[in-house]
Amino acid sequence: MDTKLLHLDDESLICRIQEGSHEAFAALVDRHSNRFYRIAYRLVSSRDDAEDIVQEAFLKLWDRPNLWDPGKRAKFTTWFYRVVINLCLDLRKKKKLINLPEDIAFADENPGPDVLFDVHQKQAVLERFIHELPERQQLAVNLCFYEGLSNNEAAQIIGVKVKALQSLVMRAKTTLRSNVKRYLDRGLR
Amino acid sequence: MTMKFEHFKEKLLMYGADVQCWPKDIRSSGLKALDSSYELQKLVKDEERFEGVLKTRKYEEPSRDLAGRIVAAALPKKKKAQRNLGVLFSEVLSEFSLSRRALAAVSVSLIFTLVIGFTIGYSNPSGYVSGEQYTTNLEDFLNYEGDVL
Repeated sequence: MDTKLLHLDDESLICRIQEGSHEAFAALVDRHSNRFYRIAYRLVSSRDDAEDIVQEAFLKLWDRPNLWDPGKRAKFTTWFYRVVINLCLDLRKKKKLINLPEDIAFADENPGPDVLFDVHQKQAVLERFIHELPERQQLAVNLCFYEGLSNNEAAQIIGVKVKALQSLVMRAKTTLRSNVKRYLDRGLR
Repeated sequence: MTMKFEHFKEKLLMYGADVQCWPKDIRSSGLKALDSSYELQKLVKDEERFEGVLKTRKYEEPSRDLAGRIVAAALPKKKKAQRNLGVLFSEVLSEFSLSRRALAAVSVSLIFTLVIGFTIGYSNPSGYVSGEQYTTNLEDFLNYEGDVL
């Protein structure tokens, strides 16, 4: 790969891709595939599906690079997050959400003081709580808490004002906290 | 100026348990408030525990070759889309890795040969056969009974 490409910013790489440069495309994929995989995985909870979505999004970009319009002044990553998220939401609608257990029975009636639940059960419950949140709250918590994006960027991706984004994060965390607490209390009984 | 309890609680939810990572404009007042209040310290501890639970969420790393796979999948796609005579011609030429000068010389000689060919073809009177002559020759052919040996 041309080392010059590695120093170019995303927007310049896209301009090269618009001219048909496969090397620029490779540089962009190399730089960002893991980042977009992470958010896709958070939304679809499956490695295969998340990888397929990231591939589909990048191939769309390769086929129609003019979809990204520099005139709109959106950062490439902000715009591409939206592309990936939309594909994830479409897939979720198709799959009617991930099959998560409705109610989880405790593996052990008398768990030890340190091990309350089986790790997998705990993860499944947490996943369910997150997936039960309204769509925009899910996006807010995934982008801000799990991906560590700034409130500004997350707000742009979701398409809301920063204040609204902060409110989404707060509501999501409050709901999650009360659900987790309720669940842990049940475990301690 | 230190922060009030409710305001601190709100920021805690918004920006997380690590006050050092809060936005600059509220960080120092947040830290001051935290230093001076046992209640707030308890609140932060509680938030840390909650965030710890959130961080236990399942995550699987992507395949190592994810990027390579995407790049490879894009290559034949574009080639197929762009397949036309011009692209084909340039691909064939690039196989021979000719310099620009050599490429120009080859092109000029090809065009020159074509022009000469057309000129000779159009200006050659011997190749011209009139309709009348053709009809006559056809009649001769039909009436031909063969040579007597």
